[in-house]
Amino acid sequence: MTQAPARPVASGVAAKLVGQSVPRKEDLALLTGTARFIDDIRLPGMVYAKILRSEVAHARVRSVDTSTALTMPGVLDAMCGADLVGKVKPWGDLMQDLLVGDHTPFAVDKVLYHGQELAAVVASSRYEALDALEKIEVDLDQLKAYVDPEEAIAPGAGLIQEGITYEFGDGNIFDRYKVRIGDIDVAEEEADVVVRQRFTTNRQAGAALDPHGCIADFDSFTGVLTIYSSTQSIYMVRDVLADVLQMPRNKVRVIIPEVGAGFGSKAQIFPYEVIAAIFSMRLGRPVHLVLTRKEIFQSGTARNGQVRYAELMCKRDGTITGYRDYIIHNTGAMSVWGNQVLHIGTNVGMLPYPIPNIRVDGDIVHTNTTPGGALRGFGIPQMIWAKEQLVDMAAAELGLSALEIRSRNVVRPEVFPFRTPMGHVIDSTTIYDCLQKSAEAIGFEEHTAHPTPYEGIGLAVSMKYTSCRHPSFDTDQSAVRLRLETDGTVTIYSSDVTHGQGHATMLSQIVADVLGVGFEKITLAQPDSLNSPFGLGTYASRGAAVLGTACRMAAERLRERLLTIAAHVLDADIASLEMSNDRVYIARLPDSGLYLEILAGIVAYRTHQLPPGFEPSLEATATYDTPTEREGADGSGNLSVTYSGAAHAARVRVDPETGLIRIVDYVMAHDTGVVINPLVVEGQHQGGFLMGMGMALGEDYLYDDEGRLLNASFKNYLAPTATDMPELDHNFEIPAPSLTIPGGQKGAGESGTGPVPAAVGNAVFNASGVRFTSLPITPEKMLLALREKERQGLSVFRFPDDMPDFTGPRTHAEWPEPDLSESVDFDWDSFDEIEDLELDDLGDVDGAP
Amino acid sequence: MQDVTITINGDIVTGTIDERTLLLDFIRDVAGKTGTHNGCLEARCGCCSVEVEGDIVKSCNVLALQVAGRSVTTIEGLSKERLRPVEHVTSQSLAGMYAPLEAMGADVNDLHPVQVAFHQCHALQCGFCTPGMVMVMKNYLEENPEPTRDDVRTAIAGNLCRCTGYQHIVDAGMMAAETMRSQPDNSRPAPARPAHDH
Repeated sequence: MTQAPARPVASGVAAKLVGQSVPRKEDLALLTGTARFIDDIRLPGMVYAKILRSEVAHARVRSVDTSTALTMPGVLDAMCGADLVGKVKPWGDLMQDLLVGDHTPFAVDKVLYHGQELAAVVASSRYEALDALEKIEVDLDQLKAYVDPEEAIAPGAGLIQEGITYEFGDGNIFDRYKVRIGDIDVAEEEADVVVRQRFTTNRQAGAALDPHGCIADFDSFTGVLTIYSSTQSIYMVRDVLADVLQMPRNKVRVIIPEVGAGFGSKAQIFPYEVIAAIFSMRLGRPVHLVLTRKEIFQSGTARNGQVRYAELMCKRDGTITGYRDYIIHNTGAMSVWGNQVLHIGTNVGMLPYPIPNIRVDGDIVHTNTTPGGALRGFGIPQMIWAKEQLVDMAAAELGLSALEIRSRNVVRPEVFPFRTPMGHVIDSTTIYDCLQKSAEAIGFEEHTAHPTPYEGIGLAVSMKYTSCRHPSFDTDQSAVRLRLETDGTVTIYSSDVTHGQGHATMLSQIVADVLGVGFEKITLAQPDSLNSPFGLGTYASRGAAVLGTACRMAAERLRERLLTIAAHVLDADIASLEMSNDRVYIARLPDSGLYLEILAGIVAYRTHQLPPGFEPSLEATATYDTPTEREGADGSGNLSVTYSGAAHAARVRVDPETGLIRIVDYVMAHDTGVVINPLVVEGQHQGGFLMGMGMALGEDYLYDDEGRLLNASFKNYLAPTATDMPELDHNFEIPAPSLTIPGGQKGAGESGTGPVPAAVGNAVFNASGVRFTSLPITPEKMLLALREKERQGLSVFRFPDDMPDFTGPRTHAEWPEPDLSESVDFDWDSFDEIEDLELDDLGDVDGAP
Repeated sequence: MQDVTITINGDIVTGTIDERTLLLDFIRDVAGKTGTHNGCLEARCGCCSVEVEGDIVKSCNVLALQVAGRSVTTIEGLSKERLRPVEHVTSQSLAGMYAPLEAMGADVNDLHPVQVAFHQCHALQCGFCTPGMVMVMKNYLEENPEPTRDDVRTAIAGNLCRCTGYQHIVDAGMMAAETMRSQPDNSRPAPARPAHDH
């Protein structure tokens, strides 16, 4: 048997771990099969629930009858929407400070999308549950389904969400968004070039391979509902679930198993969590409810699709002076995050250009399609897809290269922090250098001078936010509690779920550096709402910057405590002490000192050695909320604490015979600030690219006219495989440490996705002369476009807009105007005044009935 | 219901099962080895890949009955040695001389070279696809010791990963191939053990 070699006592000061590619702590359990994902948990007496989902997209529910199903072998319970009316509280969409109660466990009166929950059964085994589902009788009265968001807001369209009054919306417009920066009319008048195009984007699934699912376990004696859930946010699940069930929040306990990715698709509560909880409360047994792949495609949320009527205004030298857009944002039948995706994606998507005049109107629209949700990039890939293609179109009109026009415009202030007209506070960036690097590495000049037929190069730049302060979500906090254990090891408690990002490794690197404790002695506890500090969860690329800062603060507080004790015990000046190699020592005597376990032992077991009056605690907690702003009435605001830069360059080859588009080379140059773990961050960028490439070239939700989702399967939902991918070995980090975040780090999770569809689109145009205006760019579309371009004898061509049978608007004059009903003309100035009123002015509300 | 016996990682496992039971469910529920994952149940994602006597199968697409009496290797079968107790680390510091496997009381040799390479190349993020990916890679490299990067890509084309962009997985495949070429005797067939009661 192999013996581990003896460990020497390390002397001197240990090297810092932040900045090193430390292999991950998480890996061993995942590599050897001992990690427990949601479907791997077995509880005593556990039973299995299954959900019956609607096979039609839009219908009135006449009746749902579970009586026959209840008589099937092994079946323990069944329920449908009507059974729960008045018993559970609806939950819902986030909308300008309001929650709209449009989410229910099951469709009650109306089915709104293909795959919506109609009924559920629970049985002793999965097979029995599936057999019983077939015996549920459903009577639906099918209605016309609206798949196309523009059709859903056309005059005379039927109403999808009935019975909900939207404060700012109207009909199928659920909410509205607007930006008013500078004067767009003057910008248009004074512009030398205005480019316009209608762009559309696709629906894309997160398609995390670990299924959405949960196990609910209710103890009827203590009244505690324990729910194991594959989610990105334990407190969002806990708070909403407790509210839906009207239970005290400390009686709902959310525990996280290993979570096999989410990409945003698990950043909310789902009906299955409520259904499993109710079954468990009715039966007093643990209930397993894990979705199938088809169910996840149907109901696990998808990227919001957009139609953008976008315009870019430029001066002759290429300076971008204005951006105008009318956006129809398809957020599906319901969507917790859909509204925010448009706000954040559009606000941050203006970067990296400090555009002085902006006018945006957005209609956030319901359709009879899969609920929209958060997905890697959060609206930025959609915005960049339109804007960065317009930039190339403007460059062509001005006779500038794609590199020249971008070099002229990317934000490059003399002094940081710099505030853009849109309100972003850029605390540091190297986006200009990233742009130059990506162009150089892809061979931009060389290709421009000597182009190869059917080969093209495209550039795109974007910046990604590192926060989640949303118009409807006025917080951006994460928390860490650290505990020095009595043997000198350290445990990290956090509620921000790690699901692939490597929090255990990243946080341990920070703690190891601050406390001088060995990396291998640090453990990250699984999030558990009964003992994790309150934090928002893992999304919005906040892990390294926001959670990492909370962790650094907690470690510094713990360090302060330990130094104080050591100074007392050693009778030394606190300023003379250092921490390293698991010890506190006097700086000039690095091989001496007190081991952390000795200090911990003093606090835990020998408190008379503590300084007089010192609180004997081995814990330190810190919560970090970023200095971000809320969105102003004009749409401006600094929504992110810092911004990660991404400049991408794609080289594609188009096969004119088959229409196949291959990305043959891809360069990513990023500014992720101080990188804690370079190998992990590289992996994040590569994964971000995969999601952007899927969006650009293949992934899409295909619906028939009746709103049925036709490709809810990996069989015909084209997730990229290893053979589809280019080699991703041209990655560059040009760090500009964040000036706001104490450690200098910026978010890494999503900056790899933002520019990809636009970079590919620009490269495809460069290769083929076809400017694709809709995503994804499939081989079929490429063949059609090439054939049509040839038939019309054109050298450049927009597709599908330049097709003779294209029925949409072609010029600005024909573009739809946003519906300016009264709610849009809401007087925001007076609204602000109302906000400023003192509570006393409203009278005594306590005595109100 | 029917009695079925399958040898899993050298252990003889017998269960009384519904005839519809998939090999995947037999491995997970009867043998209790949950490292083999269910990602799609339609033989597309590859998360459930296991070896049946030297051949890779997607265990969600095979009935347990079809492999009755045969021998199956799962991810848990690759690193049995690692199951020895983890040595507890007390006051001696490893900061600055980080060696994770050692610190875990494990040794590089306790893991299959493919597992080691995945760890060193950061070829896994969420880790859900990893067991299937590792089984396919191991099986492929045993038969193809000198692959190109494109060969490795083709070998894992039946396994989806949504996290990594595959780049580090291909890196790991190349690194593992090199290790396996230099240690041709890394296959350690596990001895059969007495049947468990299930």
